[in-house]
Amino acid sequence: MRSYLALLGAGFRRQTTYRLALAAGLVTNAFFGVVRTAVFFALYRERDQVAGLDVTDALTYVWVLEGIFAVVWAPWVWEMAEAIRSGEFLVELLRPGDPYLRLLAFDLGRTTSVLVTRTLPTLVVAGLVLDLRLPATLGGLAWLTASLVLAAVVSFQFRFLFGSAAFWTPDYRSMFMLLFPVLWLASGFVIPVGFFPAGLRALVDWSPLIPLLMAPVRVATGGPAALAVAGQAAWILVLWLAGRLVLAAAGRRLVVHGG
Amino acid sequence: MAERPGVYLRLAAAGLRAHARRPAYLAVRTAAAAVLVVVEVAGVALLLDRFGSVGGWRPAEVLLLFGLAFAAQGLALVAGNSLEADKVSELVRRGTFDQVLTRPASPLGWVVASYVDVRFLGRAAAGAGAVVWAADRAGVDWTPGRAGLAALAVACAAAVVFGILMAAAGATFVTVQGSEAVNVLVYGGLYLSSYPMQIYGSALRFLFLWVVPVGLAIYVPALGVLGRQGPPGLPGWLVWLTAPVAAAFLAAGGLAWRTGVRHYVGTGS
Repeated sequence: MRSYLALLGAGFRRQTTYRLALAAGLVTNAFFGVVRTAVFFALYRERDQVAGLDVTDALTYVWVLEGIFAVVWAPWVWEMAEAIRSGEFLVELLRPGDPYLRLLAFDLGRTTSVLVTRTLPTLVVAGLVLDLRLPATLGGLAWLTASLVLAAVVSFQFRFLFGSAAFWTPDYRSMFMLLFPVLWLASGFVIPVGFFPAGLRALVDWSPLIPLLMAPVRVATGGPAALAVAGQAAWILVLWLAGRLVLAAAGRRLVVHGG
Repeated sequence: MAERPGVYLRLAAAGLRAHARRPAYLAVRTAAAAVLVVVEVAGVALLLDRFGSVGGWRPAEVLLLFGLAFAAQGLALVAGNSLEADKVSELVRRGTFDQVLTRPASPLGWVVASYVDVRFLGRAAAGAGAVVWAADRAGVDWTPGRAGLAALAVACAAAVVFGILMAAAGATFVTVQGSEAVNVLVYGGLYLSSYPMQIYGSALRFLFLWVVPVGLAIYVPALGVLGRQGPPGLPGWLVWLTAPVAAAFLAAGGLAWRTGVRHYVGTGS
């Protein structure tokens, strides 16, 4: 347990070191947030509610999206695949403890740093400037924090699965590139899932993409928090099992290859 | 410096042959670049159909702007992908750029021609497809003049994006580390220009009409394609300014690139 905590701390420090990149990232999120805000203000000029969402819901969605963007689409997504390709990943399998948990601890350290240095300031400033529907009670904030951290865990689990593709093919990026547009839309990064047609929405609601963005948005806007967080936890369990299976299969494959 | 375009054509052809050696790989990447446009346009179409209009524009009219912006992005990235900050940063840190400077060719021509990326033709084609689809839904009556305006929008916006990329690459020669902030101007500017400009505040509007004129390049010709009157302060004759302003911005980007190259000192041994 101590070693996993140490890895978490190391990941946190690693990510917090790059101050200039952090400033550039905050500027990027702020810019896209302002543009999306202007779009929703213009859309809601003549209407109060569309598909059960009002302008406050939409703006809260916008700023939670900008806040969590760098967690879900972390720039280090290819580190594991590159380590597998170069053979460095072998060291991971030789180290003591569980490789999956070790990778999770380090990744979670980095995403926690992003949550503290990017998500938190983005939401605080946006919440002060605009009328957003963010929780005002301590209990509500605790639910939102839990939901954001669980979103970070799920994003690691996706990175792990995509990185594992490198065990089987050297062109590990192609699969991701073809899938990316679908993930991008279905996870709600283009428009809120609430605006999807009913059939598509029902399909997406039962997918592991909801925990990435829409679950924290629902918790923030006062939806049933316990249900959203329970859904995230359930998908973490499923993705954890999938990750373990992949790792076991990959381990056998490495042995066949002779390490 | 070499003034023979043949050199650059040969460099580009060599790059194309390298890509063509792996047709499946090239096909997947080209398709992926196109699918992104389809998905984004479909998502925005779903959103706009729920609301019916934005800033007085019908959904199909807004989607035409999206198509123009994606076509321009694809076109600019075919040539300019190698100028993205992270790639220039790599050229500098690996010392590759030292070798580029010793070659009897212009450094800009060499970098652009050697790394021409045809995958982004997929994005340009999908953007053009979105323009045709949206124009059909919006009831645009295509005349040679209107087609010319659409082409003008794509060409000018692509020139502005290429100008931004050149300027950013010039800055990277000095800073070495690339910066995510360039994305604000390239992708942020195109995203902003995909909605009618009147929905933004005056500061954003001024910035993207006159300083980084990607909004001018897309919005003003699109008014002509759709047969719309511009809002107050944006008269129709501005369309004559689109090409000169885009050309001036492109020249300024080229100047920034040259300044950056002059300050290039390499990164060690």
